Amino acid sequence: MENKSLWKKITGSREALLLAILVVMGIFITILNPTFFSPVNIGQIFRNNALTMIMALGMLCVMLTAGIDISITSTLAFAGMTIGMLTKYNIVNSTLALFLIAMVMGCFCGAMNGLIIAKGKVAPIICTMGFMYIWRGMAYVVGNSQFASGEDVREFAEFGKDGTIGPYIILIVCYALFFWMLKWTKFGRKIYAVGSNAEAARISGINVDNTLISVYTIMGTLAGLAGALSVSIYASAQPNMQYGREMDVIAACVIGGVSMSGGRGSVAGTFLGALIISIIAKALPLVNVPSIAQNTVKGVIILVVVIFNVITQRMVDRQNLERREM
Amino acid sequence: MSESEYILELNGITKIFPGVKALNQVHFQLKRGEVHALMGENGAGKSTFIKVITGVHAAEEGHMYLEGKEVHFRGPKDALDAGIAAVYQHPTTYPTLSVTENIFMGHEIIKGGMIQWNEMNAKAQELLDRLHANFKPSDEIGALSVAQQQMTEIAKALSTNAKIIILDEPTASLTANESEELYRIVDQLRDEGVSIIFISHRFEDMYRLATRVTVFRDSQYIGTYDVDKITNADLVKAMVGREISDMYPKPEVKIGDEIFKIEGMSRTGFFKDVSLNVHAGEIVGMTGLVGAGRTEVMESVCGITKPDSGKVFLGGKQLKVKKPEDAMKEGIILLPENRSTQGLILSWGLGRNVTLPIQKKLAKGGIFNDSKKENELSKKFLEEVDTKAVTIFDPASSLSGGNQQKVVVAKALAQDNMKLVIMDEPTKGVDVGAKAEIYAIMGELAKKGYGIIMISSEMPEILGMCDRVYVMCNGRVTGCLNREEASQERILNLSMEHSSNERQEEAV
Amino acid sequence: MAGKSGRSINAEQKITAKKLLFTWEGALIVLFILVNIFNMNISQSYTFANVLREMPKYLAEMFMVLPMAYILVLGDIDISVGSIVCLTGTLTCYISNAGAPFPIVILGCLAAGLICGVINGSIATSFPELPSMITTLGTQIIFRGIAEISLGGGGSVAYNNTKQIMPLSTKLGKTVPVIILVVLVIAIIFTVVLQLTTFGRSLYAIGSNKTSAFYAGVDVQKCRFIAYVLMGLMASMCGLFLTAYTYGANTTTGQGFEMEVIAMCVFGGIASTGGKGTLIGGIIAGLIITLLRIALGQANVNSQMILVIVGALLIIAVLIPGIKGKIDEMKKLRAAA
Repeated sequence: MENKSLWKKITGSREALLLAILVVMGIFITILNPTFFSPVNIGQIFRNNALTMIMALGMLCVMLTAGIDISITSTLAFAGMTIGMLTKYNIVNSTLALFLIAMVMGCFCGAMNGLIIAKGKVAPIICTMGFMYIWRGMAYVVGNSQFASGEDVREFAEFGKDGTIGPYIILIVCYALFFWMLKWTKFGRKIYAVGSNAEAARISGINVDNTLISVYTIMGTLAGLAGALSVSIYASAQPNMQYGREMDVIAACVIGGVSMSGGRGSVAGTFLGALIISIIAKALPLVNVPSIAQNTVKGVIILVVVIFNVITQRMVDRQNLERREM
Repeated sequence: MSESEYILELNGITKIFPGVKALNQVHFQLKRGEVHALMGENGAGKSTFIKVITGVHAAEEGHMYLEGKEVHFRGPKDALDAGIAAVYQHPTTYPTLSVTENIFMGHEIIKGGMIQWNEMNAKAQELLDRLHANFKPSDEIGALSVAQQQMTEIAKALSTNAKIIILDEPTASLTANESEELYRIVDQLRDEGVSIIFISHRFEDMYRLATRVTVFRDSQYIGTYDVDKITNADLVKAMVGREISDMYPKPEVKIGDEIFKIEGMSRTGFFKDVSLNVHAGEIVGMTGLVGAGRTEVMESVCGITKPDSGKVFLGGKQLKVKKPEDAMKEGIILLPENRSTQGLILSWGLGRNVTLPIQKKLAKGGIFNDSKKENELSKKFLEEVDTKAVTIFDPASSLSGGNQQKVVVAKALAQDNMKLVIMDEPTKGVDVGAKAEIYAIMGELAKKGYGIIMISSEMPEILGMCDRVYVMCNGRVTGCLNREEASQERILNLSMEHSSNERQEEAV
Repeated sequence: MAGKSGRSINAEQKITAKKLLFTWEGALIVLFILVNIFNMNISQSYTFANVLREMPKYLAEMFMVLPMAYILVLGDIDISVGSIVCLTGTLTCYISNAGAPFPIVILGCLAAGLICGVINGSIATSFPELPSMITTLGTQIIFRGIAEISLGGGGSVAYNNTKQIMPLSTKLGKTVPVIILVVLVIAIIFTVVLQLTTFGRSLYAIGSNKTSAFYAGVDVQKCRFIAYVLMGLMASMCGLFLTAYTYGANTTTGQGFEMEVIAMCVFGGIASTGGKGTLIGGIIAGLIITLLRIALGQANVNSQMILVIVGALLIIAVLIPGIKGKIDEMKKLRAAA
């Protein structure tokens, strides 16, 4: 019986399962290459995946309300391009101001999503698809066939260049903030409520529309922040930056146990999901898989995880039925 | 205004939805510390009325007084703050969240900007103890039974220190034992000084709990009565609007040979070892409490779900039904319980709904839809059941519950190979007029020699229409009564959980 | 048992010009004309002959609009199609470069698409609990991943025997490109099947109410499976013709196509929530977007500006039903009062 309850705990809690996978992976990798988990390597894993990790927090909130946002990398590009141009032509040079501008722009983009989804009753995927085109187009318009190279954003890139702690601080602050928000504040509870049962939330006095608008606004703001961070870390701003990477963010959430039908998911799970993808990508060459195969592996992991979930759920249901006395 | 006597008073409430007046000038008075039953047929406006009280809907006209002061609720939050909490018919829980999270949703205990989880868990445990609940605050709601979910909702109402608690059909999906438990809790709350509004269509509930009863009919206020001063017949008359003796036009039909038989069918967790048979021209009732497994048996017969074991015979031939289409081909037609989610496609026109199951038969070459033939046929059948509609292109959503049910019937009639009709709660949420028409159709079908199975929880229609009644309890058939043997008491007895000894005695 | 009241229900449908115009498709046709006028104004070279010449570049995506309409009508979504285009395009090049005759190349390409569709369909029907968005997200990454692996470090492959694949990009009678004819024929078949057959009706039934459809005897999972397989097949058609026009494939081939195709369908009035819209709308919408692209390209408008326009059109299009619903509701409310 003791055994069974441990098994149940692991299959029952997504965070525990992910942690177990991570530990097994860690041991396996360390055996193959004892120096893999060097501080430098770990630092790089986080730095290279900071954008995904930050945006995954917003996506977590959006998916908790049973929504989705595929416009985020377009928002990122729009905000990133704008500040890239601003600093290229020396209109604004303060790092803080550039970050703020990017975040305000992201906030605006997100609010547009939220307003149309909440008030216009438009399916989130369609609405954000529309803005995915609009903001990406705007990124090109802002760029006006120009892009910002490393030389153009030299000063701004100081913040995020290899070896600085700026990106890590942002990452830690974001995760701490969201962990607190979702677990310990009323607003966090409202997000879960809306996603778990919107009708019940409405009846119990939660303003569903406002919650939705806030969630998409938060997502946009984080995408804006990621835009600034991207310019800073990669020392360039191009209109096509991070094109198609929104799916990585969604994938991190899905692996992290965030349900697409809403109401289920946690900051810890999201973090572990993102971390697992990042480590696998980095570690593939160790097991003689060329890094070119990392996408295939990622896709397989997504499918395996979600199908595993369905099968365990079916088993649990079956067991419950068998226990029913007749 | 006698402020001291009534804690809640509503006058002249009118609520309009697009196309319908859901409430028309209704009144209601709730005394301090009383259990007040609110009764009426489905669609009488009870649920809408509750939502007006709890601020979910804003009334177009009328006044509401709480402890003598007029109040205007702009939203559910205002009502909650004023001490009014509701437990709805379908538990409005958050299935993915824990019991504690559910209880404190919207009024979390917060200190210094942080939600106090420990304190909330302790408080939740306290509330559950008070209700003698057998589950933990950390359990996920989705995994609990309906009764346990309801208890969580009551705990939630208590946690807000509500002065008025509204229970909307709380016993509808509870077993007998669970209902007893609920009665106990309601009594306890009343003794603690909480005023309770209790909506139900079970007379049992009303007699057991309430001191006064208010009746609504067709969105209108009919009257308020003392429970111990009104007779059952008068109450029924108030609810239905006429004597109901002429409701059941059961025709005298010569019962033919056995046409349908189930032998030892089981499905894990739903029903076990079910056997029954139906003769030509016979109306067979299936009753028992909600959740006894009646619907599930019939769904397995029709290929909606897969049974684990058992045999099904139609006209002496054993059937192999894997999917609904197979059952239909054999002539077993199911009229599902839930019209809007199972029976109809609400956004579609009536005609298309009627012909959906037979579209392949009508199609040219079995491939291309034959609109002309479909329209003619659906017109014929919709007129035959006397549907109140202007054209066959009206969306099904535009009809009343009764007329929607008639469309479902027309859909069944259109299948010309029909041998056995299974009607699952055919009169649920149907107004009285339409009810009588549906019974009439049922009688006509029996005369034509079809076999009919009617699943129903409503005793009067079971007693009024059926030649034979199977009673189910907790997944098993506990008895089969002839028309002469059947009585309310015997059926109830068979539907309740007893030890197997008692059950055998009853069956003898 | 004729109706006691003898009430008669009308079964004649009156089709008036006004009614037709107020359908989504009617509105799209008007928009189509307006867009053409607009195009002629902004571009001198927007002539029929020129449009005919430039269109093939964009038409390959139209193959996917057709089955995507099926999938959306079902209430599902398939975001793996761009990756299928990439994978089948890549395979086409490899098969040909290995020296296979042209019919084998075509069959190989289509078979690969078919298999991708079967994979998507099998997962979707074996695990109906899973949102199709997630499962096709998984296969999206996998299909492109396989293409990436086979393309190796260089990330691209060329179709060496260009003469072999030339027939697909030629013009019949020196004016009408082959692709237009192929798209036209397939589009007619897909439209007829969706709008006029029992299979099409079943798709709408499932998208409108899966449970009711199932209870009415519709084989829900079979219909879904067929739709996914058709989707895979048409994605490989897109991959084939794209290769014919670009003589090669690379890791970014077809990237973002899934969203463009879905956008065209939704703009055409096919709701992502299922059960609504017609393929006629989807095709007109696809044409409008294609023609806009051509004209803006000719007028030297920043090619990316088209993104903004497409996005804005999409959002306006999906907002209109909601606004119309609100107005209707208010009218009804007033009538009741």
